[in-house]
Amino acid sequence: MTSPPPFQPAWNFSELLVRVENDQELLRDLLNIFKTDLPPLLESLKSAVAATDMKKTASLSHALRGMLANLAGTRAAAVAAELERLANAANPDLLGATLRRLEEETASLNQEIDAYLQGARA
Amino acid sequence: MKILIAEDDPISRKLLQKALERAGYDVLAVENGKLALEALCALDAPRLALLDWMMPELDGPAVCRAVRKRTEKTYSYMVLLTSKDSKEETVVGLESGADDYLTKPFNVEELRARLRVGERILLLEDRLVEARENMRFRATHDPLTSLLNRGAILELLNRELHRSQRENKSTAILLGDVDHFKRVNDTLGHLIGDEVLSEIARRLLGAVRSYDFVGRYGGEEFLVILNSCDPAHGPSRAEEIRKSISRPIMTTKGPLAVTMSFGVLQSADWGPRSLEELLHGVDTALYEAKAAGRDCLRLAKPPANSHPPTISPELLRHGH
Repeated sequence: MTSPPPFQPAWNFSELLVRVENDQELLRDLLNIFKTDLPPLLESLKSAVAATDMKKTASLSHALRGMLANLAGTRAAAVAAELERLANAANPDLLGATLRRLEEETASLNQEIDAYLQGARA
Repeated sequence: MKILIAEDDPISRKLLQKALERAGYDVLAVENGKLALEALCALDAPRLALLDWMMPELDGPAVCRAVRKRTEKTYSYMVLLTSKDSKEETVVGLESGADDYLTKPFNVEELRARLRVGERILLLEDRLVEARENMRFRATHDPLTSLLNRGAILELLNRELHRSQRENKSTAILLGDVDHFKRVNDTLGHLIGDEVLSEIARRLLGAVRSYDFVGRYGGEEFLVILNSCDPAHGPSRAEEIRKSISRPIMTTKGPLAVTMSFGVLQSADWGPRSLEELLHGVDTALYEAKAAGRDCLRLAKPPANSHPPTISPELLRHGH
């Protein structure tokens, strides 16, 4: 019997604060870049998965994984890494389900980021 | 210090840029491998580089391989940024010519520490290059006058003679000797003798064109090579050079009148002869100038019938 994975927050904000060395302006800039770049990237990924284009799926999920990891979106980054692994292994079976999980995780992350940005503006 | 960041992910690029600017680096950030390679091959290129593994146009390892092929460039210290974490991929990255790698998402302190390692390596490389250049200079230059030494000037002469033959041009060879130099050493001391030789070297260099060569041939003997020198103008050019020497030299023991005698040889007058024969010819002309009362020059005349001797490697190494 395997032990359950340790709890990971959708957004490890303290880790990100360390990474940006507490630079709030830089933090907002990065989050805004993310808000702009995420939707088209997710759309392209959905198209690649729908077309069972493994190479493109692997490449896009790799890019997404890097972006999410940099912003300490730990859970979404882990799912993007799983999607990349499946695509590299040319395993189409779980692609759709993993993509849906990725959409859920990025949506949770987005909510947290929106809340932060609204709070920062307030 | 300048540093290149090549990263297609705008978030990662901005994070890196800020982190490195805070550490005092002068950052150049590009978004693909092709631009990275252009930047690393440019004049005054950054010598430190952070390269993402996966990039459009060229990936990080391909950039490393292309940079390493350029052997004439100074060393670039390249760190690959990767989210790949298998041992095989690490080996591929390092084998491509990268010096180090860093796994994303990076830790700021680790990133800076690794770049400080890179700076230390580059500093060490600079010192090695400087030491090599100093050794090269010492091997080819006279330590007193900083002119080319005997071996170096003779190698250049050999090359220039071949070139002038190929191009159907003439090279003028001037062999000059300081008149009564032994007297300077004997009466004023060797330090003053050294001052005289250094000043003569300076005057000779000032009297020739930038593409001519001057070397210290022996103790008080100097060899001047005038490239592509029209035989009609060789003697007058040599006379100008001789006159440039014939002014008092200000030594630490006061002004000293110094003159030089020259033998002058035009390679076109001699045809395809060996280096040794030409040197013998110009030496004979110098001897004639000395015999004629010094402070003058004599033109070397080719012997009517002579059998060209072979070039002796000894000649390139030692005095005669």
